[in-house]
This record gives sequence, C-alpha cells and structure tokens, in this order.
Amino acid sequence: MVETVEPAVMPDVGKEEESNAKSDLTPGYLVICWDDPVNLMEYVTHVFQVVFCWPKQKAEFHMLQVHNEGKSVLARESMERAEHYVHQLQSYSLHATMERDA
Amino acid sequence: MNLIRRTGSNFVFHISPREKRLLFEVLELYPLIPAAHHRVSRTVAPKESAENQKLLEEALAERKQENKRALLAMLDGERRLKETADGHRLTLGPSEMERLLQVLNDIRVGSWLVLGEPDERKGRPIQPNAENLRHYAALEFCGLFQMALLDAIEQQN
Repeated sequence: MVETVEPAVMPDVGKEEESNAKSDLTPGYLVICWDDPVNLMEYVTHVFQVVFCWPKQKAEFHMLQVHNEGKSVLARESMERAEHYVHQLQSYSLHATMERDA
Repeated sequence: MNLIRRTGSNFVFHISPREKRLLFEVLELYPLIPAAHHRVSRTVAPKESAENQKLLEEALAERKQENKRALLAMLDGERRLKETADGHRLTLGPSEMERLLQVLNDIRVGSWLVLGEPDERKGRPIQPNAENLRHYAALEFCGLFQMALLDAIEQQN
C-alpha cells in the first residue's frame, strides 16, 4: 500500500482479536486482503469500514497488518459469505482472495 | 477539489475548471483493470475454482457497466455538476461517493498495471516516458481525487 499518514495511536484491538478465535467462527474459508504498493492506506481503511461495517480503529488495525505483514485475515466464513466479501473487496479493486481454512 | 458544505446526506464540492477537465479525462479510461486480474483464490486448484472465477469476473464486469452508466448520468446532468463563476459545484450523495471512489481506484490500479506494477520498496520505481505518461498522470490524479473524497467523508464523521 502507498504510505501516507500513520495513525498517532495504535488501536487497542487485542481483545477483539481474541474473541474472534477460530472456534468462535464458522469454519470454512478465510477472507484475506494482500498488500500491494498502489492502494492508498486511507482508502483501504475506508473500504474495510464500508464492507465489514467496522469501526475505524478496527479497520486501521487490519489495514496496518496488510501494510506491515503483507496480508491480513479479515473474516472466517462459510463459502458463500466469503465469496460475497471477496466480491465486495474486489469491486473496490483491493487485492483480496478466499482461502480454505486449514 | 474542496468540500464546501454538507446538505443533508449530500456532499457539495467546489471543482476548478482545470480539475474538472482532468477528472473527465481520467474517467474516460474507465474501466481499466482487465477482467482476469482479480483471482478468487491463491491456493484453491484452478479446476476447482474455475466456476467461482467465472462468476467473479461476470459480477465485476456487470458492476463496472453499471458504474459507467451511473457515472455518465451523474456527470451529465446540471443537477450534479453546476457551473459557477469560478468553476463548478459537484454534488454527490453517499452512494455516488462510493461509486466514484470505486471508479477512481479502478483507474488508479489499472494505470499501475499498465506502468508495469512499479514498487519503490522493491527498487522498481515508476519510469515515466512518452508512452506511459497518460497512465502515470492518471495514477496520480486519481489518488488526489480519492483523497479529496475520503477527506470529505472523514470530516463528516
């Protein structure tokens, strides 16, 4: 992603991440967003907010994960729901795929 | 391109004559990303995901046709783009903002593909030349317009 403005404070999303543990979610497919050098950081945050109805802090956390680690798992869903999310993310031209949850 | 005010759920922008010309020029490039660019999966075997891939490409193509129709209607009417003494007033509703963001990013990512997927972090900077100058300019202008739209949405929140 193209680096623009880093948030001054890292969002505290640790607990939320923990609550999204594998066993709490429908098994099946992972919705993954991959890093690329063209999408703007603010744009990626906005898309995550729109597609997943996330608050800005959570969207920024995942955007930074994509930027820093190369990818972020955004959801663990059934095949149909994962397809839906991938279609939504790709309609915004983000690099998103669905992968089987091993 | 600056946000002047919010009226109800609408965003009202001032857009200079030069910005309007640039916006219309880059929008002519839409759609730019090839249908097969997006993949459903990186790991699922191609045979297994072929049907899903076909569905994805059809859905994206349909969305882009719809975006193009809506975009032309949006920028054609006086209601959305009104001439003023020093430029134009562009009025966009929330769904039109999202549509324009999608369209601009398609052109931005598509231009990046045409430019050979440059990546400064990997030592592959953009190398502008006479042939790719239009897409280099489109990449930059789309980013500027996107930031203007995103700033306006941020101000609202």
